[in-house]
Amino acid sequence: MSEQDAACIERSRRDPEAFAEVFRRYAPDLTRYVTRRLGRDAADDVVAETFLAAFRQRDRYDPARPSARPWLYGIATNQMGRHVRAEVRQLRVLERTGTDQVTAPFTDRSDDRVSAQASGRSLAGALAALPKGHRDALLLIAWADLNYEETAQALGVRLGTVRSRVSHAAPRTRQEQSDNGGGHP
Amino acid sequence: MNEMDTLSGFRAEVPRPEPADLRAQEDRLLAALRTPPPRPALRGWTRGWKLGLVAGLAVAAAATAVVALPSDPPRVIHAMPVAHSAVLTRAAQATAGQTELRPRPGQYLVYESRMMFASEGTSRDGVASRYLTDELRRVWLPVEGDATGGFIDGERLPPKVWPGWPIPPEAWENLGRYRPEKLADFDQRAEQDLTDYAHTSAWPTDPEGMYRRLYTGLGNDEEAHELVWGNVQSLLRESYLPAAQRAALFRAAAAIPGVVTVPDARDAAGRPGIAAARLWAVRGTRVELIFDPKTYQYLANVRSSWTRPRPGPPWARC
Repeated sequence: MSEQDAACIERSRRDPEAFAEVFRRYAPDLTRYVTRRLGRDAADDVVAETFLAAFRQRDRYDPARPSARPWLYGIATNQMGRHVRAEVRQLRVLERTGTDQVTAPFTDRSDDRVSAQASGRSLAGALAALPKGHRDALLLIAWADLNYEETAQALGVRLGTVRSRVSHAAPRTRQEQSDNGGGHP
Repeated sequence: MNEMDTLSGFRAEVPRPEPADLRAQEDRLLAALRTPPPRPALRGWTRGWKLGLVAGLAVAAAATAVVALPSDPPRVIHAMPVAHSAVLTRAAQATAGQTELRPRPGQYLVYESRMMFASEGTSRDGVASRYLTDELRRVWLPVEGDATGGFIDGERLPPKVWPGWPIPPEAWENLGRYRPEKLADFDQRAEQDLTDYAHTSAWPTDPEGMYRRLYTGLGNDEEAHELVWGNVQSLLRESYLPAAQRAALFRAAAAIPGVVTVPDARDAAGRPGIAAARLWAVRGTRVELIFDPKTYQYLANVRSSWTRPRPGPPWARC
């Protein structure tokens, strides 16, 4: 499949509609990832903008790259940059109130979910407190299933930078939980 | 439960949408793709017109797979082996006699290339298709600055036959010249990975230093060698190194394990050449860097696959 990504993108340079195949392959996972970060409404816009930006930059896609996945998540991360305040605000609301605006539309039994538990509330606080670059690296690995190398490629940083961001960020999320776990009213 | 497990469960109730849920989004995207984007203002861009160089020519018999990754901060790496590729060593020697460009900040470097790619997939009428796309590509990149300062134009040429396969009707659509467009809206490469002239002209001029630069943060295994070989290929395609750095690049590349000589190479235009090639058994690919057999001027790169393309399920086709 990965070899075919480059073929699709090359073909779309001549036949724009071939890019729809790239959308069909990656839109479901990408939509879920962006929705988990920003909520449903913002995700619709970000995903649409991501694929449009990717299409317009398809000439820069290196056909030697086996998979378009890191490239697309990198573009999405860039597009999400405009929503960083809203992302942090929603995490803070969850931390303070236990109400998650992101997951609310998807469940009517949120009481047994991680995000509604005390651990979820403190986790939300920990994520909100991270620098954006650290949060990006951590969530690309935890939610988007990118490996360290793919994350480095997506974020345009060195592999060592990803390692240090994750090693810095991950314990902070654990620390927040052990400090606060079960402590919320 | 470690932090990654906890994170994986956080907001896990957000569902992965079904393809049918995204149909409207896909339709909107398709509509947008058919609408040409607004053209950027191109004031000042003609400055670079006079500084053309590097006629490259590329063909890919099957689109494949080398990942050019950003590398780690400097770490201890393996020593550079003895150079063993006579082709690349001669290419290094030949740089001394080649015309040297001396671009200045504010100018553009223009890269013209002709690119052919295999296009495989299913045509609109549901028939399996395979043909070669053919395109003239011209990229302007600033002497100083990342890809967001670049422009691209070119011409889509008529498709070429893949022997034994019909050319699908849609391959004849959207041919002709396309107007200059901005090359990239953003360029996320880290500072040390930029390949504009302002950066490449500051790279090491000794082969060992260049070899260290190429392998920084990478190991000494097959994957590292393939990554480096792919990066050399990318550098030759659309970046410009002064002669001293170019010679160092060729000498360093000559020491990459697994590089062999292909005495009877031929590029997409049918020009004969001599090539340095590297086989990657894992992916079944061979990437050749082809040089003029007399002047050792770089001509083209060719990526080919020796494994038969797998038919694959419909979703894997393009």
